[in-house]
Amino acid sequence: MYSRFIAMGSSAKSSSPITTHVLNTGDGVPAARMALSLHRLDPRMAIWNLLTIGNTDEDGRCPGLITSDAFTPGLYKVRFETGQYWESLGQSSFYPYVEIVFSVSDADQSCHVPLLVSRYSYSTYRGS
Amino acid sequence: MNRLQHIRGHLLADKNMNIATTPPSPLTTHVLNTAQGVPGVNMTISLHRLNPISSEWYLLTTGKTNDDGRCPGLITKENFIAGVYKMCFETGKYWDALGETCFYPYVEVIFTISDSSQKYHVPLLLSRFSYSTYRGS
Repeated sequence: MYSRFIAMGSSAKSSSPITTHVLNTGDGVPAARMALSLHRLDPRMAIWNLLTIGNTDEDGRCPGLITSDAFTPGLYKVRFETGQYWESLGQSSFYPYVEIVFSVSDADQSCHVPLLVSRYSYSTYRGS
Repeated sequence: MNRLQHIRGHLLADKNMNIATTPPSPLTTHVLNTAQGVPGVNMTISLHRLNPISSEWYLLTTGKTNDDGRCPGLITKENFIAGVYKMCFETGKYWDALGETCFYPYVEVIFTISDSSQKYHVPLLLSRFSYSTYRGS
């Protein structure tokens, strides 16, 4: 079944087991209002199912990405619309977008997938 | 001229000619295993270019990194046109071959080539739970 959820507000802030934090390392600020989306791979169909779309807030975070019930083991992908973000700041960027694909084996653990991004570099790590 | 010099003259017709005369690729990569402080050796990578009309990725090259974590000959100057490219690194298989798991089954770096007369270096610094990339030289 194809379902789409918009990232929820403060009521779900502490409950999403997948979180992110986007930092603009070029300017030393959170990357606010960056569009992003969360996807899960359907292993039988070998396609990505869109779970959530949202935008980072003023702190570069996007609460409510997924509920605990929906968080099952598998392959996930967060796509960050970095090109659009830099464009809205009047700048070009080497990367039109960034996709981070990661594997969740234990759905009891939460997963923090931050993105540190500049116009010509980015990094990510598994955080807490 | 003695006979040895004569033979040498035939063998080294151009003293500046190397065995591999292919010009270097304008696009290069370098994979580093930052957890162990070594190059990322024998990692499968592939280079793709986006077809802007069909929005499909076209596979250009596949290869494996060498003992220095590099993969020469990714693309020729003639094929290197402006556009959106994707470099896919098989990071999961790499760590699997080392007997370890990795948070990232693979890493795809998508980048825009606006000026194909320039050289572009797209390295990957990788551990089991982190990675980074940058536009290098």
